[in-house]
Amino acid sequence: MSNSDHTQGSLQLTDLSKYFGEFCAVNKVSLEIQKGEFLTLLGPSGSGKTTLLMMIAGFVDITSGDIALDGTTIVDIPAEKRNFGMVFQGYALFPHMTVRDNIGYALSVRKRPAKEITERVDEMLELVQLQDFANRKPNQLSGGQQQRVALARALCFAPPVLLLDEPLGALDKKLRVEVQQQLKDIHKHVGTTFIYVTHDQEEALSMSDRIVIMRDGAIEQVGSPYDLYEHPATEFSASFLGKSNFLRRPDGLYALRPEKIDIRAAGNGGEPARLTGAIKSITYFGSMQRIIVSIPDGDELEVDIDSWRNQDPLHEGQQVDMLWQDIAAVKLAEG
Amino acid sequence: MQDKQFMRETLTDGAKAFQAGKMNRRTFLTLCAMTGFATANVLAGKAEAAANEIVMWNWGGQSEECHGGAIGKPFEAATGMPLRFDTSGPLQGKIREMVDSGNVTADVCDADLFDSIALGPTGHLEAIDYDVVSKDKTLPHYALKYGVSIILYGYAFVYDTEAYGDNPPNSWADFFDTAKFPGKRSLYKWANGSLEAALMADGVAKDALYPLDMDRALTKLKSIKDDSLYWGSGSEAHSMVINGEVSMGMVWQNRGKNIEDDSDGQYKLVMNEALAMPGAYIVPKGNPAGREAIMKFIATAQEPAAQLKLLDCLGMTPSNPAAFAQIPENQQAYAITSAMNIDKVAFNDPVWWGENGGDAVNAFLDAIS
Amino acid sequence: MNAIRKKINPGWILVAPFLLLVVALYLGPIMNILWLSVTDPEPGLSNYQKLYQSDTMARIIWTTFRICVVTTIFSVFLGYWIAYAMVHCHQQQKNYMLAFLLVSFWISILVRTFSWLMLLGRKGLVNDALGGIGVISEPIAFMRNELGVLIGMVHYMVPYAVLPLLVNMQSLDMRVMNASRNLGATGTQTFWRVYLPLTTPGLVSSTLLVFILSLGFYVTPAVLGGGKVLMIAEYISVQLLVTLKWGTAAMLAALMLLGVLAMLYIMSQFMKLSTVFGGSSS
Repeated sequence: MSNSDHTQGSLQLTDLSKYFGEFCAVNKVSLEIQKGEFLTLLGPSGSGKTTLLMMIAGFVDITSGDIALDGTTIVDIPAEKRNFGMVFQGYALFPHMTVRDNIGYALSVRKRPAKEITERVDEMLELVQLQDFANRKPNQLSGGQQQRVALARALCFAPPVLLLDEPLGALDKKLRVEVQQQLKDIHKHVGTTFIYVTHDQEEALSMSDRIVIMRDGAIEQVGSPYDLYEHPATEFSASFLGKSNFLRRPDGLYALRPEKIDIRAAGNGGEPARLTGAIKSITYFGSMQRIIVSIPDGDELEVDIDSWRNQDPLHEGQQVDMLWQDIAAVKLAEG
Repeated sequence: MQDKQFMRETLTDGAKAFQAGKMNRRTFLTLCAMTGFATANVLAGKAEAAANEIVMWNWGGQSEECHGGAIGKPFEAATGMPLRFDTSGPLQGKIREMVDSGNVTADVCDADLFDSIALGPTGHLEAIDYDVVSKDKTLPHYALKYGVSIILYGYAFVYDTEAYGDNPPNSWADFFDTAKFPGKRSLYKWANGSLEAALMADGVAKDALYPLDMDRALTKLKSIKDDSLYWGSGSEAHSMVINGEVSMGMVWQNRGKNIEDDSDGQYKLVMNEALAMPGAYIVPKGNPAGREAIMKFIATAQEPAAQLKLLDCLGMTPSNPAAFAQIPENQQAYAITSAMNIDKVAFNDPVWWGENGGDAVNAFLDAIS
Repeated sequence: MNAIRKKINPGWILVAPFLLLVVALYLGPIMNILWLSVTDPEPGLSNYQKLYQSDTMARIIWTTFRICVVTTIFSVFLGYWIAYAMVHCHQQQKNYMLAFLLVSFWISILVRTFSWLMLLGRKGLVNDALGGIGVISEPIAFMRNELGVLIGMVHYMVPYAVLPLLVNMQSLDMRVMNASRNLGATGTQTFWRVYLPLTTPGLVSSTLLVFILSLGFYVTPAVLGGGKVLMIAEYISVQLLVTLKWGTAAMLAALMLLGVLAMLYIMSQFMKLSTVFGGSSS
């Protein structure tokens, strides 16, 4: 089953702001969201990402600016009339209803015929592979299953936009990776616009078409995962999405990813070293090793290398040379 | 839920405060709250009886000061034994429970004479020692084996002079005649007095009341049921009248003067056909001070001086014939045994009530509820 | 030993002394009452025979039941309304409301009962005012009848009705209500289909609490009923203290106890009692 039969699904946010008293939770956010896009709002807690999502959902009134669906403003439409699906943090399933009734709720409150509801719920149960659990209550399901019920419930009435508020936050790490994949598959399958809030950068990188990095209520940077990772525009972007070393050069500040640095014992000849230093510590992670190098100006540099490449083992205290390609160091904007 | 005694106390104190200063209702409510708490504290300090003192079990309030002054002082002067009080109300059930439990903490109960008929033969009371107590110092029928009447109180009624000023009611027949005297009535809820009043209203002579014809009495009572309220305590009776809820109200006669004063004369007491009730001292079996001491105490209470002080303090009428002639002039209109009233009143039969009271109360409750 | 340990939760050992205390101090007197009801005044079931032989008993029980049901309905309805308002208003207003609620909770029942007489009595403020402006010619009989008893009892019971509901409502995850709105349900639909079912445990415990407390009501019916509204509790007290028919009193007490237990049993058929009394629902 596909949701792509409807024509709606693009969102336009214009100069959107939200003040709680004096406190500015969302600050002049403007954003164009494409139909069918998987867009992630990424930021630390307090960055305004959840407030922004709640404004889109209609649960939080806007202070100024505009939200439009396919060019038509929706700011005066109450939450229950916006027809946006939503997966809540903690799922917010109806504890007194069966899985079937949870999923069919949106159609049931729209007073659709029982037969249509049954058929549609069956489709959704199949989509999230919970056919055998239709008559259970939410508290009889595992966390992952509850998450899928929440997803099915939000998608059941074929909304043009699906809002997801940290939907995987309650799951353990291993399960989370599994569900990420399922979520991506479902997104592809239904073709609905997904707006996804998370503070987990890996989740954002692996799932999104585009990521919006938020900071203090404003947009820090927008781009595809590749763009953002390879070309962070600011120190905040570079450090929040992935790890980064920062180098101060006469012409400005540069970000340098730890895995883009090559490291070897000092004085081994070949290409001249860009920097030399002494190994402060080596941490072993199995597939890779993290080496902290003290450099002459008193700073430290983090270097990640694949374990298999460290055949002549470097050791703590050893003098090392470090090299990287020109494009590896990205010049940052400074405010 | 709170004890009935607690209810009485609070209502009394509240009503007094209200009338005393003619204060507004808000102040009254505050006072109500305060007296409510104060009474609770008083109740907490209940007396524990010991061998060298007399504990009187009564209803508290003013009677504490009054009994203390009238009987307690002369008795302590003569014997050295002080008088203390348990003010939680000596209802029959409580006396029975106290004696049955073996933990008797009271020496004498300020009760009704019919209680002695109900509790004496079942072994809950000490017999009165008529070598110490005098049968001549009370009315002839009111010196019984297990109890002796010290004072009398009565069921009379008050009426609203503004409603019936020109042609005032003067009998229970008038009280029950709501056609001739339209308006609300109030009656005692536990049957006493109410039954006798109904029979007198129905034409039974005041000296031919007993045994009570229950069916006849209840039929008469039901005839004015829609216009009747029923009170459970003296202060409730008082407030029903003072607050204008009824235009004729049965009251305890000893409150008649207070009501006349508190209403600035709007309500007037009618003593004709009042039912005299023998208030009695009865002694729980195994009282801590011992039988000898308590009999002396009762004898002290029979003295005209003590009885007249109780009349002055509480409006309770002496039962000792020697005191009748000494009733002061300003009390004569309200006292049961004064020369002007003694022939007008009917006298309660404690034996009939002691033997039939339980059933009579239940039949009465059945009729009014 | 291990087998026993598996069967008996060690928690029982901790509560055992208190359990014994409760049995001794609580069940003892109850057994005594049951015993009295079949032995006083003579052994046998004569006390219980009164139940169907005496119209009085039937009427008192019916009066009590009727008043308790009506009181419960009004108290719980008002309580639900107040609790809902408290949960959904600002913190400061909520504190005010809670303070008012608790003040009325703490005021002596006598003062409250008496206040109603002052307010709604024949010559109370309301009748005086209505008479004064000429709306009525005869005072309205609010008090000294069954209406008076109901007004007084509902007033007394509302705080009891509010508290379990308040606890229940405060523990609700408001995201669930948002989810319902988000799924297209109107406010009314959300209330009936989500909010009300989720507050059912609070409603049930509030109903039970108010009904059971109402059964024991004594002072308010006695004063506000003008002596004509006789409920079981007062009747029991009269049989104990005035007429000395302890067997009858014990029989009625046993009957009330049985009634309450029966109610709890019926309720337990529909839902877990532990949920009602605040335990976890899982």
